[in-house]
Amino acid sequence: MSGRCCRSKLSVWAALCVLVLCWFYVFPVYRLPSYEEIVDEVSRQGHAWRKNHTGIHVYRKLLTECCDPQRIFAVTKENSPIGKVLWYDGELYKSHTVSNDTYPLFVQDSPLRRPLKKCAVVGNGGVLRHSGCGRDIDDADFVMRCNLPPLSKEYMEDVGTRTHLVTANPSIIEKRFQNLLWSRRSFVESMQAYGSSYVYMPAFSMQPGTEPSLRAYHTLADARSNLTVLFAHPDFLRSVGAFWRGRGVHARRLSTGLFLASLALGVCDEVTVYGFWPFAAGPDPGRRPVSHHYYDDVLPYKWFHAMPEEFVQLWRLHTAGTLRMRVDQCSPPPPDGGEGEERVGTGG
Amino acid sequence: MDVKVLTMVKTSDLFERWRNLQVCTWEQNKMEANNFKASLSRCCNAPSFLFTTKKNTPAGTKLRYEVDTSGILPVTTEVFKMFPDDMPYNKSQFKKCAVIGNGGIIKNSKCGKEIDSADFVFRCNIPPINEKYSADVGTKTDLVTINPSIITERFQKLEKWRRPFYEVLQHYENSSVVLPAFYNTRNTDVSFRVKYALDDFDSRRGVFFFHPQYLLNAQRFWAVHGVRAKRLSSGLMLVTAALELCEEVHLYGFWAFPMNPSGVFITHHYYDNVKPRPGFHAMPNEIFNFIHMHTRGIIHVHTGQCS
Repeated sequence: MSGRCCRSKLSVWAALCVLVLCWFYVFPVYRLPSYEEIVDEVSRQGHAWRKNHTGIHVYRKLLTECCDPQRIFAVTKENSPIGKVLWYDGELYKSHTVSNDTYPLFVQDSPLRRPLKKCAVVGNGGVLRHSGCGRDIDDADFVMRCNLPPLSKEYMEDVGTRTHLVTANPSIIEKRFQNLLWSRRSFVESMQAYGSSYVYMPAFSMQPGTEPSLRAYHTLADARSNLTVLFAHPDFLRSVGAFWRGRGVHARRLSTGLFLASLALGVCDEVTVYGFWPFAAGPDPGRRPVSHHYYDDVLPYKWFHAMPEEFVQLWRLHTAGTLRMRVDQCSPPPPDGGEGEERVGTGG
Repeated sequence: MDVKVLTMVKTSDLFERWRNLQVCTWEQNKMEANNFKASLSRCCNAPSFLFTTKKNTPAGTKLRYEVDTSGILPVTTEVFKMFPDDMPYNKSQFKKCAVIGNGGIIKNSKCGKEIDSADFVFRCNIPPINEKYSADVGTKTDLVTINPSIITERFQKLEKWRRPFYEVLQHYENSSVVLPAFYNTRNTDVSFRVKYALDDFDSRRGVFFFHPQYLLNAQRFWAVHGVRAKRLSSGLMLVTAALELCEEVHLYGFWAFPMNPSGVFITHHYYDNVKPRPGFHAMPNEIFNFIHMHTRGIIHVHTGQCS
């Protein structure tokens, strides 16, 4: 009796081993260049970048075919009438049926109207620190930011002040604002930094995130805030995830930054991304140490995101001219039209 | 006890006696009233213990719940911050007080003006006081109780929207609100949320929590007087407090019978006819007790029309 039990346990272990091996075969870690190689390549490339119109078109077409960001990036009254079932993209077999409670919280239809000319996607990488990119970022027609980043005065020069869309993860609502169950004042006050932008929340990705996201809506509506809460459409997140998985990004979940970059590639004529730098050493010749975020150095949960893989993808798009990635210093404010300052910090 | 005798009287007899009593004008019996207040202040002492305050509940103490006797709430700095510095009312501070019950008896009484002329008006369970009812119940409110079950049922525990709740309270002008936050463990979170919600809207309305020990003492006090119930009604809690805080206490809308003294059927509340859970409150008992106190000249129970 006990022997049989052991044998059956053994076979389970064997199956597990095979699975793990398969996993390593399908998602090999070694295929990715080491991070020194990436950093070297980036610093070799330097400042040079040329826009590639056909690349931009091709990519927009690809993304429109796969994910249709224009139409379904957010849950709207139009694409999600009462009774529609939204399947959570971060969980198996969990769904939310649009009801009388949730339907009124949706915007009428897609708030993103093409053409958006210049878009800036601002990641929170420590590489932004002392970059002086604030003016460049604020120059864009549409500025997207990730995860309610601080925009206080001390960062203004590096990250700018304008925001048109900012994402908010339910986990932040939970950690920083006690799930909005108690006092909501600090949340409302800290949201004032984003003016009258869109707050983009993945309410229907993971089930524990739904309540806090809806609560964020209630809070901002109660406070008569100028912000508009948009709920990410799980179908959009799922299809963008599949799109990048097909291109070799393997992670349990894409980072918010890559979602936003994909959105931007799908709806903007010109995309510049800032603050995407998942490495501890900078791209400058001195390889100065770079903190994880521009505002702190708290490392994320290790196996959740695959930042270096995502970076490589975006870097490829940069070298192809489809989007522009800024990891260097932006030109400092010209004291007297100083064009010669252009190459500062690129090590060229 | 006289109250027990009253409970044995047939309702029709009681009604008749009550009708006959209305011929006489009520006048306070100073000695009886003062004796009663003295015994109340010995047992309960509302001017210092009605609400939890920074003074009577220092940070670090442990609050014992009223019914969940095993439940204990440590007064953390977070909790302590919500308490007022001291009791906002003093002994016999107000001359004439009105305690408004929500009984259907008050409908068509036209007592609104008389109620609004009181110095301090207590109300129970955020009742509606809009134009439809104000002629009968008045609008002045200085302290209104909120039962946490109302927050749970009507306002989804304030976990979702909060403005509707804030706007309902706007009807009560400068009134403070008071909640039995420490009745049982379930009440605490919703009650605290009321405080936070009002702070969200920069409201300067006072939010107070009944001291559980005060309510326990009051319950014991009334049990001795023949009012035994699983729980005192909010009305009786307010009357208890009013007796200590006011010189003269007038009751409106307290009547626990399906018909008024002249035998005409009335609704349960003046605004609806939803009956409560049976066996929870001892309403008829409480009313017998009030009638008894009325005859002794301690409180004035109004059941008829106001002129």
